[in-house]
Amino acid sequence: MSYTSFLYLFGFLGGMLLCYFITPKRFRWVILLLGSYLFYIAASKNWVVIFILVTTLSIYLGALWIEKINDIFKKLKGTLSRQEKKELKEKLIFQKKIVVVILLIINLGLLVVLKYYNFFAGGLNSALFNHLSMSLPVLKFVLPMGISFYTLQAIGYFIDVYRGKYKAEKHLGKIALFLIYFPTIVQGPITRYDQIGKQLYEGHAFNYLNFTHGSQLILWGLFKKIVIADRANMFVNHIFQDYAQYSGIVVMTGILFYTIQLYTEFSGAVDICRGSSQMFGIELPKNFNQPFLSKDINEFWQRWHITLGLWLKEYVFFSVSLSKPFKKFNTFVKKFGNDYLSKLLPATTALFFVWICNGLWHGASIKYVGYGMYYYVIMLCGMYFEPIFKKIISVLRINIESKWFKTFQVIRTIVLVNIGMLIFRADSLQSAFQMLKSCFVPSQLPLNMIPTLGIDIHDFVIIIIGAAVVYGIGLIKEKGISIRESISSMKLPLRWTIYIAAILVVVIFGAYGKGYDAVSFIYATF
Amino acid sequence: MDQLLEVLRDMKPGTLIDENSQLIEGGILDSLDVMNLSVELNDEFDIEITPLDILPENFATPTTIYNMIKKLQEED
Repeated sequence: MSYTSFLYLFGFLGGMLLCYFITPKRFRWVILLLGSYLFYIAASKNWVVIFILVTTLSIYLGALWIEKINDIFKKLKGTLSRQEKKELKEKLIFQKKIVVVILLIINLGLLVVLKYYNFFAGGLNSALFNHLSMSLPVLKFVLPMGISFYTLQAIGYFIDVYRGKYKAEKHLGKIALFLIYFPTIVQGPITRYDQIGKQLYEGHAFNYLNFTHGSQLILWGLFKKIVIADRANMFVNHIFQDYAQYSGIVVMTGILFYTIQLYTEFSGAVDICRGSSQMFGIELPKNFNQPFLSKDINEFWQRWHITLGLWLKEYVFFSVSLSKPFKKFNTFVKKFGNDYLSKLLPATTALFFVWICNGLWHGASIKYVGYGMYYYVIMLCGMYFEPIFKKIISVLRINIESKWFKTFQVIRTIVLVNIGMLIFRADSLQSAFQMLKSCFVPSQLPLNMIPTLGIDIHDFVIIIIGAAVVYGIGLIKEKGISIRESISSMKLPLRWTIYIAAILVVVIFGAYGKGYDAVSFIYATF
Repeated sequence: MDQLLEVLRDMKPGTLIDENSQLIEGGILDSLDVMNLSVELNDEFDIEITPLDILPENFATPTTIYNMIKKLQEED
């Protein structure tokens, strides 16, 4: 059951809204729980649900165990001397770490085995076992739907309880709902328990504004997915499958269209999910915030796939750079290394783990490791060469607040991101490099060539206009104007004219039916 | 406070920083700088900054950082 299907939009979502609002408020979260399991089972194989059940049960029990250890310390700390308190704290931290390790082995273990086994087995075979005339077998696993998303949510939850950020949830059903909530299970946004837990469990009353705003967001998501992304997909597939045949502007257009496709598809899907959730009165976090208006790569990653970036920052970046072994390592480098460089070392080391995790999270292949490392190197360059860049700006007397300089920064970011997208989409690092090289071979893209590239001229124009509309809307949002609120404040005839026009645009210009293939969500496979 | 200001000035050479400089809002520190600074502070003041302490309000100005250091030293 895809989020863009009639079955989901008019059958499942409609039915859920009806059941939710006719049920007494205190039991409404149960409707969401039952509906989410129904959605999960309908959208994947029946027995696969066992994996999410294992994750749910393990983190529920593990978090309660950690909570019990936290309580022991709170109970005893007032009665102990400073030294005794320190000793008890160390002992209990050790116990908590054991629980965390067990939970990580269960949950990360499931993800690693199901998603990465063949990748690591292949690596081990070529590095070691093949030399010993042995090999690890290639195994075919079923990847449970949403495992990369719910595993991160589960880990975030028990690490927060471990750190004492909030208390463990006592109700198993509530943890189950947090992990499997149907608008987030397929492709995020990756939510945190303290962010949506309370919202999920309190019964919300029907709110007309939430309903209309949610519907508008769904419609906007459908426009991005069906009108732009699914259409661009045909052109992109054509170029990337046969890239050796093309060069110059044709390849560049293929790369640019893939960037447009990925952004409109992923952000469109998240809009549909956030819109669905808003209809129940549950506000999901934003996953995109006009990423193509970023002035540098660091800012881009604060605006693109925001919830993944925040998760990596909170649970990988902080964990690595504030860990004790790292503290010792940092002291050692400071003693024997350059003072300025040693000050940048914490972020340098922690970012390495962040980008390795980011790359591998997207997929089990060297290509994705390369994708992560690409951004890692760009960020390091930005950090280490900051004094040089400042010097150049000062020598050339560049006004960094001027409009043209900001425009230059935005264009530079877009170019760098497009190269990243090329690595992400290409079959391998080698083909990405070949395609990048071919961009510098002069060529032309005459209008009569377009019909030979998987789409006709009308599709091409619709993609360009659609992308311009999305970018334009982004510029308006960037100025702090809420389009949905502006529409809501309009008079009824004008408001409904806009609604009907928007529906007609999706229905008329949507890439579905004869001549178009239904395209699965790219991020649903991660 | 002088020791803290020295750490900050070493980290951001050429930037004028006093007790009330707006470090986050003024764009002097970004998230990577905050991390580098936290590790430096752990070392310099023998404290243990945890992920729960990494909040914009704790790193807003040198004064708020100083208050956080004092609090962590007292808790230890």
